[in-house]
Amino acid sequence: MSATIRNPNAGRLAAVILLVLPLAVYTLLYLVPIGSMISLSLDNGELGRSLRHFSASDAADPDARAAALLADMKAMNGRQQAESARALNQEMPGFRSLFINTARKADEIAPAMSGLTGFDKRWADPRYWEILDHNAGTLTSRHFRRATGLDFNEEGRLGPYGDDIYLQVMIRTLVIAVQVTMVTLVIGYPLAYAVANGSRGFSNFVLISILLSFWTSILVRTTAWVILLQTSGLVNTALLALGVIDEPLQLIFNRFGTIVSMTHVLLPFAIIPMMNVMLTIPKSQADASRVLGAGPFETFVRVYFPQTLRGVMVGGSTVFILALGFYITPALTGGPSDQMLSYYIADFVKKTLNWGMAAALSVMLLAAVLVLVGMAGALNWVTSRRREVA
Amino acid sequence: MKAIQILFTCAAVACAAGSANARDVTIAGWGGNYQDAQREAYFNVFAQKTGLKPIETTYLGGLAEIKAMADTGNVTWDFVIAGGNELQLGCDEGLFEKLDWDAIGTDGLLPEAVQPCGAGNVVIGNGFAYNTEAFPQAPQDWKDFFDREKFPGKRGARNTPVMNLEFALLADGVAPDKLYDVLGTPEGVDRAFAQWDKIKDLLQYWESGSQPVEWLASNNVALSTTYNGRIIMAKREGKPLEFVWKNHLVNMDVWAVVANSPYKQFATEFFKTINDPANQAKFSSLMPYGPSNTKAASLIPADIQKDLPTGDNIKDAAFMSDAFWVDHMDELTERWNRWATQ
Repeated sequence: MSATIRNPNAGRLAAVILLVLPLAVYTLLYLVPIGSMISLSLDNGELGRSLRHFSASDAADPDARAAALLADMKAMNGRQQAESARALNQEMPGFRSLFINTARKADEIAPAMSGLTGFDKRWADPRYWEILDHNAGTLTSRHFRRATGLDFNEEGRLGPYGDDIYLQVMIRTLVIAVQVTMVTLVIGYPLAYAVANGSRGFSNFVLISILLSFWTSILVRTTAWVILLQTSGLVNTALLALGVIDEPLQLIFNRFGTIVSMTHVLLPFAIIPMMNVMLTIPKSQADASRVLGAGPFETFVRVYFPQTLRGVMVGGSTVFILALGFYITPALTGGPSDQMLSYYIADFVKKTLNWGMAAALSVMLLAAVLVLVGMAGALNWVTSRRREVA
Repeated sequence: MKAIQILFTCAAVACAAGSANARDVTIAGWGGNYQDAQREAYFNVFAQKTGLKPIETTYLGGLAEIKAMADTGNVTWDFVIAGGNELQLGCDEGLFEKLDWDAIGTDGLLPEAVQPCGAGNVVIGNGFAYNTEAFPQAPQDWKDFFDREKFPGKRGARNTPVMNLEFALLADGVAPDKLYDVLGTPEGVDRAFAQWDKIKDLLQYWESGSQPVEWLASNNVALSTTYNGRIIMAKREGKPLEFVWKNHLVNMDVWAVVANSPYKQFATEFFKTINDPANQAKFSSLMPYGPSNTKAASLIPADIQKDLPTGDNIKDAAFMSDAFWVDHMDELTERWNRWATQ
């Protein structure tokens, strides 16, 4: 009896915990792959686990280092040798075959520097040994260095000496996502307005058109754009026939084609949330505004539009986040300088088996999204506070 | 309740009983006409000989699926046709079974076809093609491919340095047998990129092998790199396309056994089937790619022979080096991507 008096909300608390439980499990399940992705981007794989003697050896004594490397090579099986060699090749082309060939003959090579250089004179090049030094630990910065364009210079200092192609691709990915979001909102807002405020038949027609394209496979929709926009496609043929242009326009395999096709794919994700918000706005508000003397334009700008901003935010951010992950559509409708980060991530996963690099690029993309979402959140918080104060 | 229990028990028993050979032997190929021809020439023969019922699936290149099978131990494919590059990487990393060549036999095979984990099977000609109605005189060699004055218009190419750099060096006058000596030096790579610089703004990337055919046929591009088979097949369908048989680059698709396949005891039979000259001749007559068994040549009619990358056409061809690309793929892909972006 006394317990219930002390905590009258115990039953409710239990209910809340039970209700939150699925969310907690879901969040955990969601965090696990992200955690494994982050660890994959830093994991040095077989290379880190296998170079035990080498990392313990005296860096000043070349013969001891050579002997330790050969001892490590002998201790590895064929698969470990190959995986280590592949990791080293990411730092220096040709290191793969050098490492594998040496490892396979490790039993026959004298455990000294002269033995190694006698087997292959490339071992006399200090760059190979520096790379081994940088990669002997269980953790590696190799993937993040390459993703961000940082590298060691000749004096061994870390700085922006590498190729920053992936940073540039990252920026390009963000730019394309912003461009697509803008176009989607500009086209989507009037359509959502039409669905929410049009006559029943008309809004059904618009809604069905939107959903129809939503249910069509992304690949089919993308290919349809190729057929429409290519040099001898419908659009160019029509424009030529009408005499609007003298020679075909380049409408696809460039940024224009990428944005058109991505916008088409993502349009429903912008329209549906905006439409939902618009449907909750009572029509009587507009009448009230008119009665109070505002014209249609002022009614829209001061009464209607501010209330739909929530839908615009939800639709816009959904489109933006989805656009960041696109790669099939830009691959089919874009040119060389329109490929997005996911294209390179897929390339690393599939073609070169460099899952560490794929993970590092994914972490970079995720971090960029978190920063942007954080910034949007902070902006939202600041403006809402200001409004409260006012 | 009881019924559900019985159902679960039955399911568990079925799983346990079937776990050793729970699935039929699975062959992964590139799909399309290519796989249809292989079914007729090889898979059906293999099925007849072994009494197995092969099921087929499509392989999209790369090693990701096969590595996932090795890592998780859930091997769902048995025989797969891969590129030479993938074979070499996968073989070193234990993703494919080593082959017993003493049992399979190497009689008549090209030396390049006999590899530790795989059998080179399909000889492919990589070159470029044009629409015969597009130009008054036909392009002759790689120099013409990179000549934007003589042959104006867009160029189709794959978005990768592999083979593209070789094509550029061939255009720059490097002898086919010296390709990789030159490409192995920084100056050689610069030379290759300098050729691509000349037509960079004309490039249109293709992803799937069907695109060059469509683009050439509809005059979307003036010239395009392509596989000889696609163009010859389109020609047989009446499209006005022609493949340029001059300094094409030859590579081989390779059959391999996925590591720990439950059907690996049938590997010897499988490889005997695909290496058989009569079966290979049948494949080449269905799909215009060359046989890896030199004894197949005499079984192929002359009118088909002239469309294959082997035979007379191989005289001034260059062989693609998988060993070079395994070492240089990362570096040159990055450079290619950067070049494409700028």
